[in-house]
Amino acid sequence: MGSNAPLDEKSPTPVAGPRRHPQLDQLKRTWYFLRKNTLAMVGLSIILIFVVVALASFGYPAPGAKMTLYCGTYPTPANNCAQVCTYAPPSPAPPGTCYAVSALQKSLVPPTISFSPLSLGPLPLGSLAPDPSTGLFYNIADGLIKGAPWSLGISVSIVGSGALIGLLLGAIAGLKGGYFDEAVMRFTDIFLSIPGLLLVLVLLAVLSASLGNSLSFLGRIAILVGAFVVTWWPFYTRIVRGQVLVTREQSYVEAARASGASNSRLLLKHIIPNSMYPVFVQMSLDVGTVPLLLGVIIFLGFPIWPSSPFPEWGTISALSVQNIENLVLVCAGVQGATCYFPWWQILFPGLTVFLFAISVNFLSDGIRDALDPRLRR
Amino acid sequence: MKMWIYIARRVLLLVPVLLGVLTITFILISAVPTQQRLVSAFGSPKSGTGQYISCPGGGPVLCVNPWWTHGIHTLGLDQPVPVQWAKYMYNAFTLQWGYTSSSSYLVQAGIPGGTPITQILSWYLPYTLELAAFSLFFILILAIPVGNRAAVYRNRPFDQGARILSFSGFALPNFLLASVALLAFVVLSGGFVSICGGHASPLDLWFGLPPSLPGYACPPYSGSPPHWIGSLQETSPTHFITIDALINGQPLIALDSIRRLFLPALTIAYASVAGILRFVRNSMLEVMNLDYIRTARAKGVPEAVVISKHAGRNSLNVTVTVLGLTFAFFIVGFPVTELIFNLRGIGLLFTYSILQPFDFGTIFGTTVVFSIIVVLANIIVDIVYAYLDPRVRLG
Repeated sequence: MGSNAPLDEKSPTPVAGPRRHPQLDQLKRTWYFLRKNTLAMVGLSIILIFVVVALASFGYPAPGAKMTLYCGTYPTPANNCAQVCTYAPPSPAPPGTCYAVSALQKSLVPPTISFSPLSLGPLPLGSLAPDPSTGLFYNIADGLIKGAPWSLGISVSIVGSGALIGLLLGAIAGLKGGYFDEAVMRFTDIFLSIPGLLLVLVLLAVLSASLGNSLSFLGRIAILVGAFVVTWWPFYTRIVRGQVLVTREQSYVEAARASGASNSRLLLKHIIPNSMYPVFVQMSLDVGTVPLLLGVIIFLGFPIWPSSPFPEWGTISALSVQNIENLVLVCAGVQGATCYFPWWQILFPGLTVFLFAISVNFLSDGIRDALDPRLRR
Repeated sequence: MKMWIYIARRVLLLVPVLLGVLTITFILISAVPTQQRLVSAFGSPKSGTGQYISCPGGGPVLCVNPWWTHGIHTLGLDQPVPVQWAKYMYNAFTLQWGYTSSSSYLVQAGIPGGTPITQILSWYLPYTLELAAFSLFFILILAIPVGNRAAVYRNRPFDQGARILSFSGFALPNFLLASVALLAFVVLSGGFVSICGGHASPLDLWFGLPPSLPGYACPPYSGSPPHWIGSLQETSPTHFITIDALINGQPLIALDSIRRLFLPALTIAYASVAGILRFVRNSMLEVMNLDYIRTARAKGVPEAVVISKHAGRNSLNVTVTVLGLTFAFFIVGFPVTELIFNLRGIGLLFTYSILQPFDFGTIFGTTVVFSIIVVLANIIVDIVYAYLDPRVRLG
């Protein structure tokens, strides 16, 4: 069809001309419905902005030069750190330095305390994020910008590899059927019954115990990605296999088989392209959850990054939340202390993770609605 | 097929999955270097943790470390792998899951090394189950009515609102949500009321409870069974706080422990409602387009009855299935929530055991228990589904 052919409002399927590219037509049809979905378009624009930021961040100065590390304390108005940090569990803090109380130690804080109302601190908006493991602070905005390619890259590579494995395995299982299908499906059942995040953490614990600190920078990240992929392929395998069971009964597959197409040709030319859409929807959903899960891992106190502080959205978010909890708890431990609540520390990293996940959700929901004729009626 | 045959078949299918999960954990634990396994199991001796140590008399020749040989022999690591696997399975099914490490974070948390892992789990599991039940309750009372209404008011403000609400549940990091909720409640209630086993909450006022109950002291972490209910004289036969409190004739404490579950259960539910709500809406949309709904409307059945009886009932099947599918996702929120709210469930146990130095016995014990919960939940869902839809068990 011509690119300027007018689309009928009611039936966007182009009728004029030979249908030379049915898949292209479907893509155009999907885009037509997607465009009318405001939320999906909002999601798409936000994702595009993030991608642009990620690309632009490569022109940003290197972390060492720009991600300034600040002194290891949260400044009070008088910049009297000792005032906030009177409570230091193991031993009294040296004057002028501040203890980063880990989230796990909070049960040690004496429970009966009242403290004065939280108020906005003196720090400039969007400036500092803490890293409890080093006690150092770094700039939130820099961290978020430098973190964009890491967050996006890690998310896409985890979900992409998981989907690829699931796609191949699920398609072969669905096409072949029989014992192979049964074996693959039981195997996925087993993996699906271990809660995903726990499996990731167990894998990381085992790997870090056996490999220790001998890993390179990229090696550690590869291990992280691998651990996630191990937990993620079964979901895709199950989705693809269910879709293939429907696809393989279609008459075009039968026709292809009758005209002598080999199994691999059937798989690559007919079955996989026609089972792709649910995978695509699931992938776009999952990409958004990766930074969340990375944040959870960091929040639970499991060090996964080769260097610290590592600019990754979920990580920055988790560290900031931990820091604020600690601040409040430490502050609550000091009678009569005025507590400052640096809300921007949790707002901006949290907002980044949230916006990424929610826009990806909007987009995939829009795609699902656009693809499913029952839902778009 | 009769219902009980169906149930029996489903339960039988549990066995291979369980064997598979245990085999995976066996493979993983075998991948841990021997030295670290021995340290995790027996602690490190003064003489060193290597396979060879310098001899007592000194000299350039190294001697075999008796700690190492003894450890290897006790764990059965000197036997062939199939034998190790069989022993592992036997121990797993006879509930001999080993002992906690004496060098891990659990010791700092008050659990002395060498405590049987099954015993620890039996102390910590009930709280997780109570939390799960409570969150499930919130999920159901939120997801079904809101999802149905969103389908009825499709693409209108209510639907869009529900969409944004459910997506925000998906997209908000649970540690952020839980922490902010906790901090907000702390601030609102004017400080900490009691930090043990829960959170400070203004719900105190709603229930008309005093901020601290008489006889309710914060129990310290201790090696003995956590005496949740305060004084040591009271018995704790089930380890479920609410049930134990009622057995001991302490309804106020039962109420108190339920009150403490509100905020954590709500934060867990909020994250999980998202997916379920979408499925309820979509299945409801599908059902509402079916012919019998049109028939019902044509013959003059009131719209409210059409929605609640004709369509609502039939879209429930999908809801049940989705509940089973999201259970694994839902349970992932437990470690973080229990950590933030300081609830002594197995999620907290897991969190402590993955801190270095790892406590591998506890890591794998909690993982297996979590997997069993997921599998059992799926079986229950299947059975409920078969009960709701006879075609499943007949087909």
